[in-house]
Amino acid sequence: MTSAAIFLTLVLLAFIAFVTVRQRSLASVSGDTSKLHSLPRHYGYYAAVCALIPGLLIFFVWVITGKNIIEGLVISGLPDGLSAQYQEQASLVLNRIRLAVENPASSEKHPDILAAAQQFHALYVRGIWATFVLAVASGVGGLVFANYKTNPDFRARNSFERVLTILLILSSVIAIITTVGIVASLLFESLRFFQQVSVVDFVFGLHWSPQTALRADQVASAGAFGAVPLFTGTLLISLLAMMVAGPIGLMSAVYLTQYASARTRKIAKPVLEVLAGVPTVVYGFFAALTVAPFFRDLGEAIGVEIASESALAAGFVMGIMIIPFVSSLSDDAITAVPKSLKDGSLALGATRSETITNVILPAALPGIVGAFLLAISRAVGETMIVVMAAGMQPNLTANPFEAVTTVTVQIVALLTGDQEFDSAKTLSAFALGLALFLSTMVLNVFALRIVRKYREVYD
Amino acid sequence: MSNTRDFEPTDWKSPEMQARTRKRYRRDRTFRAMGFSAVILAGLFLVLLIGRIFQDGAMGFMQTSIDLDVTFSEELLGDPRAMDAEAFEEQVRQANMSRLLDAALTAQFPEVTSRRDRRALIRIISGGAREQLRNMVLETPAIVGTTKTVRLLAADDIDQLRKGKIDANEPEANRKVKDQELGWYNKLVEEDRVSLNFHTRFFTSGDSRDPELAGIWGATVGSAITLVVTLLIAFPVGVLTAIYLEEFAPQNRLTDIIEININNLAAVPSIVFGLLGLAVFLGVMHLPRSAPLVGGLTLALMTLPTIIIAARASIKAVPPSIRDAARGLGASPMQVVFHHVVPLAMPGILTGTIIGMAQALGETAPLLMIGMVAFIVDIPGGFTDAATALPVQIFLWADSPERAFVEKTSAAIMVLLTFLIAMNGLAIWLRQKFERQW
Amino acid sequence: MLDMSTKVDPMTEIRTPKMAAKDVNVFYGDNHAVKGISLDLYRDEVTALIGPSGCGKSTFLRCLNRMNDTVATCRVEGNITLDGDDIYDPKIDVVQLRARVGMVFQKPNPFPKSIYDNIAYGPRIHGLARERADLDEIVATSLEKAGLWNEVKDRLDSPGTALSGGQQQRLCIARAIAVNPEVILMDEPCSALDPIATAKVEALIDELKGRYAIIIVTHSMQQAARISQKTAFFHMGDLVEHGDTTQIFTAPKEERTRDYITGRFG
Ligand SMILES: Nc1ncnc2c1ncn2[C@@H]1O[C@H](COP(=O)(O)OP(=O)(O)OP(=O)(O)O)[C@@H](O)[C@H]1O
Ligand SMILES: [Mg+2]
Repeated sequence: MTSAAIFLTLVLLAFIAFVTVRQRSLASVSGDTSKLHSLPRHYGYYAAVCALIPGLLIFFVWVITGKNIIEGLVISGLPDGLSAQYQEQASLVLNRIRLAVENPASSEKHPDILAAAQQFHALYVRGIWATFVLAVASGVGGLVFANYKTNPDFRARNSFERVLTILLILSSVIAIITTVGIVASLLFESLRFFQQVSVVDFVFGLHWSPQTALRADQVASAGAFGAVPLFTGTLLISLLAMMVAGPIGLMSAVYLTQYASARTRKIAKPVLEVLAGVPTVVYGFFAALTVAPFFRDLGEAIGVEIASESALAAGFVMGIMIIPFVSSLSDDAITAVPKSLKDGSLALGATRSETITNVILPAALPGIVGAFLLAISRAVGETMIVVMAAGMQPNLTANPFEAVTTVTVQIVALLTGDQEFDSAKTLSAFALGLALFLSTMVLNVFALRIVRKYREVYD
Repeated sequence: MSNTRDFEPTDWKSPEMQARTRKRYRRDRTFRAMGFSAVILAGLFLVLLIGRIFQDGAMGFMQTSIDLDVTFSEELLGDPRAMDAEAFEEQVRQANMSRLLDAALTAQFPEVTSRRDRRALIRIISGGAREQLRNMVLETPAIVGTTKTVRLLAADDIDQLRKGKIDANEPEANRKVKDQELGWYNKLVEEDRVSLNFHTRFFTSGDSRDPELAGIWGATVGSAITLVVTLLIAFPVGVLTAIYLEEFAPQNRLTDIIEININNLAAVPSIVFGLLGLAVFLGVMHLPRSAPLVGGLTLALMTLPTIIIAARASIKAVPPSIRDAARGLGASPMQVVFHHVVPLAMPGILTGTIIGMAQALGETAPLLMIGMVAFIVDIPGGFTDAATALPVQIFLWADSPERAFVEKTSAAIMVLLTFLIAMNGLAIWLRQKFERQW
Repeated sequence: MLDMSTKVDPMTEIRTPKMAAKDVNVFYGDNHAVKGISLDLYRDEVTALIGPSGCGKSTFLRCLNRMNDTVATCRVEGNITLDGDDIYDPKIDVVQLRARVGMVFQKPNPFPKSIYDNIAYGPRIHGLARERADLDEIVATSLEKAGLWNEVKDRLDSPGTALSGGQQQRLCIARAIAVNPEVILMDEPCSALDPIATAKVEALIDELKGRYAIIIVTHSMQQAARISQKTAFFHMGDLVEHGDTTQIFTAPKEERTRDYITGRFG
């Protein structure tokens, strides 16, 4: 018995319900559908829904909570010695049990663990069968219920549509659940992190070296989790990116909206869109393979030492990535400026550039500021380019020629490769994630508010 | 200025005024040129990026082979006529194919005798050659006892040498291919035994530590399975949400919150979705690590806002008159929406969905979080098999120290870009074909 | 370039038109919006352009300072002169032309800047003031001429967009005056204003007419009758009738004109 089998059985049951109840509704009026309140297929839909929904609910409860409950049971059933160890050693014991379950031929020798693994397996099998039986029973119950309700006066369509409405609402709520899930998981894991490392050390600490903090005696030692170098690194790279994307993006938008012919626009806009559609991993590869060595050689030629993984290379390439972002948002901001302002300026005898710099850009300024903020938030959250080109050294520096590391780089470094749950090292990634989430969120909300206010002025 | 200027027109023809006007026009031209160069620069970056990838990647689809006269020795492989098929197969599987290679190389280079040199010699052939020979024997057992010229994959360094990526003129110390190997290589070239061929294996095999054996099929299948999950979740949920918000939602707090939420979600960095996937799908729900199922779920949450926003826009574009007409025929609100509005909005919804899927296909960071970044040789066969995805494969190869992986990475990027172009092309085609002016 | 003396003999000035349009045709793509119009415009006179909506009044007006250049699909044929010089001559300088031929739009369009900067914008870009004091004076006299000075002199730093609609429109007129134009084009300058603001703007136009050639598009017969000396009636791109305002309104020669001013169509 597998989860997939349960799911498929339920779908099959729903199909059977649809066919039988549809037949039955037809039979009840001996084929004269005009006597039915709703169309036969509505009776069928209703029955399918009745058969599917309760079973699916049971199924999902099992998928989400099943293993957790069983683990709880297994843990509480462990002999004292082990569970005491469990208290200390976090989920290590649990991991060993899991391994033993998944791979019976593993090298696990500890008899208690083996016993627990067996118990786990037995409980799991029992649980999944119980789920199967319950789900199918409820499905059959739903079918019988729908069958019983099927008579010519039953408003099957209305009932079915009520179910549909609920489904629509549930779908919309998923967006909220996602946000809640993000906030909750980040917050929850971060809180656990902050039980081990103080918030102050994290936010204001100048020293970041979670790798050396692996040893137990160093976990609490202040300074290992000081995130300031990551924040400054992120900031430095984002600033460099904006120094590339800001002028180029804004000037492209100005050119395309104010000077370019329709034909030029038709060519240039797709080019910018393609630039936006290139996956970030490709940019990262480009940065590491081409741009970083280019800058290093350039530095050598002019006598400046530029690291082979430099903030400059990562920031530059990230800037290229953000150009289309800046230009399309600035484009929107510029086009939102009423034509009457532009005409007013031109009619006074201003040249186009005078009109742009004196009237159009100042009028579009809030929108452009919003665009820049959104672009910065994009740069702050960008991962692959910096992972591949910025390096791992948590240097506290404002020198773009050195390697720096960013929040996202460290999240990736902390969570890929061998990791154990519950260690401060792993949990710190979630604290970083929380910082990232909050900062981008603030930037976005702020930017959107500016943009919206500004739109209102001209609407 | 005095009050007389009321009646004195400005002297536009004075030399100062003319010069001033000329200066103003010059400034305008400069400004325009700045704008133009910004656009050109953006285009140039794109050309540079794509050009560099193509320049490197084109060779990634080719691979160097060496033709060797291999004697399929009966002594090693057994006699297929004298033993039953199973026993023969077993013997072939057990046989040390290196000995065939060794013999073939010895025949080719009789002058190489010392054990050390011979070990170096066999290393000019790819490690995959043994498997290749074994498969040949298993396919046509009759080959045993004969001598055939077999086209064997060269090792990656020889391949790079053939492609000119390793410069034979550099001093030996700086060069990965030593003089000795260079001598062998040149001899093989003289005998016309070295060739550069289209490398089908690149499209059919999974990952490998050896560049000449590595392929993208595993990652492609992983991406495909992941996207299927993404589509199955994100499309229905996204469309239903859009329908609810556009057609049924009352104007209240909850609706407002949902709307703000969707807009904010669209701007959350992708890596945060990865953290969510790690904490919830792996941490709470204990779904298997590295599985396309988890990757798909994570990417679905990430793409959801894109699909919702696109679907809302195209539902909104369906004119109210159509709703009124349908309602006038006695259709229930649900029927109006599902029979009339949604079908008309479908091209727009599909366009948005395809664009969302293209985004998901190019996404790397969240997949790193949920462990789809392991070294996986096997082609994934289901939703819960360990798998990787195309962009992650690119990331992994880009990280490899072997020189030969650079062109493989570029080649994989070309494949990924091809997929993305195809998807976006499809979206544009859909939009143009069904674009409707109401 | 223009080489006529800027000091015109007052006697001959009456007879030589400030601006003259000869056989002007305007096309928007295939749409023939203005058809062969010839019209002379004099200094010291207010010329009113009237006619039903879409008949090409604005289009014609915008030809006079080449604002139609900003519309990509627009093509102008024929000959328009300012002081005898063809304004569509490639050698002519649009920037200077527009400074000489100012324009006021239907909807007040003050820049999102202070009142002072709104007025100072034109003189600044054209370099009409050497010092801050000059600029201050231009701003003050322009606002005075536009009858706005007393209302805004204490808040020159507040944004121009914060004024009332009528004040905004007078600000726009002041803005046009500030660059010292010779001709002022007005496209329905009062259509967005209430009657009191309209009266103020009309009084202002009357005040200004001695110094500039003023061409005004209006939908209000009463307004045309009140403020203009000459009236031109447009219909579907044609100039149907042109003459003294009193004559047009009391004894129109053309039937279409009569129908229009008596309100039978349009
Ligand atoms: N920018 C433009 N592009 C294309 N066609 C235009 C444009 N502006 C005006 N037209 C067309 O030119 C014709 C004349 O328009 P115009 O604006 O000059 O009329 P009008 O007399 O000013 O009308 P109204 O009194 O409504 O302002 C109309 O048919 C109009 O559709
Ligand atoms: Mg008009």
